[in-house]
Amino acid sequence: MKNISSLHVPHNKHTDKLDPIRIAVPNEVVLPMNMHSGHDAEPIVSVGDYVRVGQLIAREEGRFSSPVHATVSGTVVEIAPIKHGDGKEVIAIRIESDGKMEADPNLKAPVINNCDEFLQAVRESGVVGLGGAAFPTWAKFNEAKNPDYKVDTVLVNAAECEPYITSDHKMMTLHPDLIADGIEYLRKYMGEYLGEAVFKICVEKNKPDAIEILKQTFEGKDYVVIHELDAIYPQGAKQVMLYNATGRVAVAGKRFPSFGALIINVSSLAKMAEYLNTGMPLVERIVTVDGPAVTEPKIVIAPIGTRISYLMEQVTVEGEIGKVVVGGPMNGTAVFSTESPIVKVANAVLIFGEKESVLPDFSACIHCGRCIDKCPVNIDVVSVERALRHPNEEKREKKLIETGVRQCVDCGCCSYVCPANRPLLAWNQDAKWWLKQYAASKKEGGKN
Amino acid sequence: MKQLHVSNAPHIHSGDSTQKIMLDVVIAMFPAAAVSVVLFGLKAFWIIATCVISAVLSEYLFNLACGKKSTIHDLSAVVTGLLLALNLSTKVALWQCVVGSVFAIVVVKGLFGGIGKNIVNPAIAARVFMLLTFSTVIGGATPTIKGDGVLASGATPLVGLNEGTQSATLGQLFLGTHGGTIGETCALALLLGFAYLVARKVIKWYVPAAYVATTFLCYIVFTGSFTLALSHVLAGGLLLGAIFMATDYVTTPVTNKGRVVFCIGCGLLTFIIRQFTSYPEGVSISILVMNLLVPFIEKLTAKKTLGGIK
Repeated sequence: MKNISSLHVPHNKHTDKLDPIRIAVPNEVVLPMNMHSGHDAEPIVSVGDYVRVGQLIAREEGRFSSPVHATVSGTVVEIAPIKHGDGKEVIAIRIESDGKMEADPNLKAPVINNCDEFLQAVRESGVVGLGGAAFPTWAKFNEAKNPDYKVDTVLVNAAECEPYITSDHKMMTLHPDLIADGIEYLRKYMGEYLGEAVFKICVEKNKPDAIEILKQTFEGKDYVVIHELDAIYPQGAKQVMLYNATGRVAVAGKRFPSFGALIINVSSLAKMAEYLNTGMPLVERIVTVDGPAVTEPKIVIAPIGTRISYLMEQVTVEGEIGKVVVGGPMNGTAVFSTESPIVKVANAVLIFGEKESVLPDFSACIHCGRCIDKCPVNIDVVSVERALRHPNEEKREKKLIETGVRQCVDCGCCSYVCPANRPLLAWNQDAKWWLKQYAASKKEGGKN
Repeated sequence: MKQLHVSNAPHIHSGDSTQKIMLDVVIAMFPAAAVSVVLFGLKAFWIIATCVISAVLSEYLFNLACGKKSTIHDLSAVVTGLLLALNLSTKVALWQCVVGSVFAIVVVKGLFGGIGKNIVNPAIAARVFMLLTFSTVIGGATPTIKGDGVLASGATPLVGLNEGTQSATLGQLFLGTHGGTIGETCALALLLGFAYLVARKVIKWYVPAAYVATTFLCYIVFTGSFTLALSHVLAGGLLLGAIFMATDYVTTPVTNKGRVVFCIGCGLLTFIIRQFTSYPEGVSISILVMNLLVPFIEKLTAKKTLGGIK
């Protein structure tokens, strides 16, 4: 089978041989209400309340949402809007730590008898897609119940194809038991829907130790396949993974389970299992602290809500800091302020020096075609910008759809290879955003 | 704390730039340029120098006059100047070189919007313009190098080939000791440049190969003579055109598939012109015509988006 052609990027997995270090308890944590995709969570604590680790402090609100739990023990000191990493304002709960990290005594492993109770428990775990999408995990499983879908493959996304990041890698080498538990839970409680499914744990070949451990863990279990992927970016993009692991094509505009597959990040699966085992919800995560300006990178276990600046103190930085990125260098978000907290999906904090932070001005497209050549899904990237500027909205929509931009997986290969430094990914994202808005406005117009 | 830089992802870059690509093309043309001086003497050097300097200068002045940011640092004007020079014979006067370069940069490139916007290859358009304007550049000139293997006849061996007289041996054609434009005669130097461009991943090997192979096969089928077909590949501007002009990013289709189609078209046209018209060459005009067909080829060869609905 032909694999999707993509891009060799320098791996820079400097921290893959290190053991994660649990950082000293931060003085305070800041927990935004939008650490998942969907509706913001609703705070249920007040300023002055004493909270313990794992205690529910904000409940789900709306159809797709996820609860938030206290990640340190201490006192709620502020519930106020903060400017999130990407500049949006969101309500956040600030907890001053008492340094004791005392766990909530009421926490206990949930009692589960059926699928609905299982989904309810996953909801309460606060686990979301930790690979970056932050889609509530329970909702993903809930979709598999739709009788229209026949899910025969569960893709466990452990590609971790972005440079630097080693968080999922560490989860695999340190907690293969949790991954195994997660799979067993799914088979047990969602047996009706996933009982026949094959679990494909998709790992890039640049993590041989993780592959070895997983192979040992799942020896003799024929429903688990360790699928080794070439270490070529972006193997972790769900459309790419679906194609390379199953040969199926993710058709535009359709829900993922309609392709007969579910996809779940390996750390999400492990964190879900941890909650079902112990009752401790998602309160901490493994974070890679690295980047071009870091001389001694580290991998740490940090409470969610820890300020980025506190994590940056854990490593030595050379020269002047120019940019701080949460997530990978290909796909991550550059933050406005290092006082922002790390959220549930923050798998890495990358520190860039001043020199690496300033991109040269973009120049004219020379039509070299590298963006199209390196696009994993063959989007006509060259034409997107021109189509986006078409004055006639109807024609703009038609032309944009013709470029295939709706299939964009946000990998950023196009921008990475562009010799003219054109912000192609940003234009693709603009185009996708505009197409959604326009489709919505047309729908609304039709109703009136 | 000081303000952080904030920008869209991705935050890293391959490090490739237009300038680096153009520099690679210049380096790839260097063997041919150096050999041209050996074969054709100092005049070749002055042609190259004049074309390059006047191309760069006219780009600089054109941008200045239009109030645009200078683009000479991207080295594309150097490529155009050098390519034009390699396409001229030593019969050309230096002032004619200046006219050709200005035409290439100002009329063909600048007026269409500068780098990336031109429809036809500036160097080729300028060469064809010069062919029509100053007929002296047609045909080529005899190498000045002295030796046993050097041909006496002044014109390109293509004339001989068309008249059915093999005027140059394959060895002479390969080494370039025969008449022609200064840069087109030495196949060896051009192939070195080809190898460099492929190694640097500036071009895909099969793109120029498609051009050469098409013309070659046409001659094999039409004449049945392997030697004659190979002579046609080595003589005239075919290799120079296939390697350096039919691979110009700006004026060829954007996908490799499209580029192959483009080159097959060039190969067919070159054969047709050389074989059936009174004009012995055909590369420049073939590429020029195919340049105009690029939007059409692109439409036919567009990649299908994975999972996209058309």
